[in-house]
Amino acid sequence: MNPSEADTLVIERIRAGERDAWNQLIDCYEGRLLAFVGARLADRSACEDIVQETFLGFLTSLPNYDARRPLESWLFTIAAHKLTDHLRRQQRSATLPLEADSASGGFEPAGHARPASSLVRSAERRTLEERALVDGLREMIDHWRDREQWHKLAVAELLFVRGMANREIAARLKISEQTVANQKFEGIERLRNILARRGVSADWFPELQP
Amino acid sequence: MTDVDLLSYLEESLAPADMARIEQALRADAALAQRLAALAADREAGSHSVGAIWRRHRLSCPSRSRLGSFLLGVLGEQEAWYIRTHVDEVGCRICRANLDDLRNQPVEPAPAVAGRRTRYFQSSVGRLPANRKP
Repeated sequence: MNPSEADTLVIERIRAGERDAWNQLIDCYEGRLLAFVGARLADRSACEDIVQETFLGFLTSLPNYDARRPLESWLFTIAAHKLTDHLRRQQRSATLPLEADSASGGFEPAGHARPASSLVRSAERRTLEERALVDGLREMIDHWRDREQWHKLAVAELLFVRGMANREIAARLKISEQTVANQKFEGIERLRNILARRGVSADWFPELQP
Repeated sequence: MTDVDLLSYLEESLAPADMARIEQALRADAALAQRLAALAADREAGSHSVGAIWRRHRLSCPSRSRLGSFLLGVLGEQEAWYIRTHVDEVGCRICRANLDDLRNQPVEPAPAVAGRRTRYFQSSVGRLPANRKP
């Protein structure tokens, strides 16, 4: 999703301190935020408190808000953090140890060696790689949407977004494993080519290794 | 439980039933909690993942207007199938919330909605940047 012109405008007006714009943003987004939180919490009052904290968090984070990012995604990210904080306070959500298990040597994506220097390359470089991938994925998704190839899009989502194995996707979508494998190959090749055109190596992305 | 499941858990982006399943498993399984911690540390260190980037940017989420059209039953059969898959199989929490909100709009009493919105506004308007208008 790309930021809409309406979102860009309302953000500009909020940054200028316009109360009407702030009211407009609340009217537009509070219902969906409440539905998001309500899916995890039965306590309606607590849900409303979390949405309230989300709006406050949005205003606090406004100076750092990147206008290239869709407003809705940003609001849901804040809501997810507030919800996690609430669940942790209730001790429903597992508390993470502060550091990774050093004995395990840290996480390595299954089956793919990750270059050792990946953790020291610059944040700027990582941002550039992420932008190239986002552009590449958008190009691929638009290609499928324009041609109404909805099955290809669904397969790619289950592969990348949910990390499912070919067999499970085939069972869920009632298609053959070979079809899933073919579409996976096509998707990875397409993305690798798009990244190469943008001068970014696909080697930084474990899921795109052949 | 896959690494993607665990990363999605950290992002609060799994379907509620899957979130609850992982919460329970983490309480009972210290090794799983360590694995989750390692994933979180790797993510903090800047490791890339196509799935995480796709989820973060919501690259394939239908627009709210398409979701509205889906509820009205005016989309083509294949696109409607895709939206059901995106919400039910992929488990997109944000699109589910949008659908629930759209379904709920004609049902919830207007005074209740107005009261809630007023509370949100009044509790936050003090944090609005200073008005720059002359």
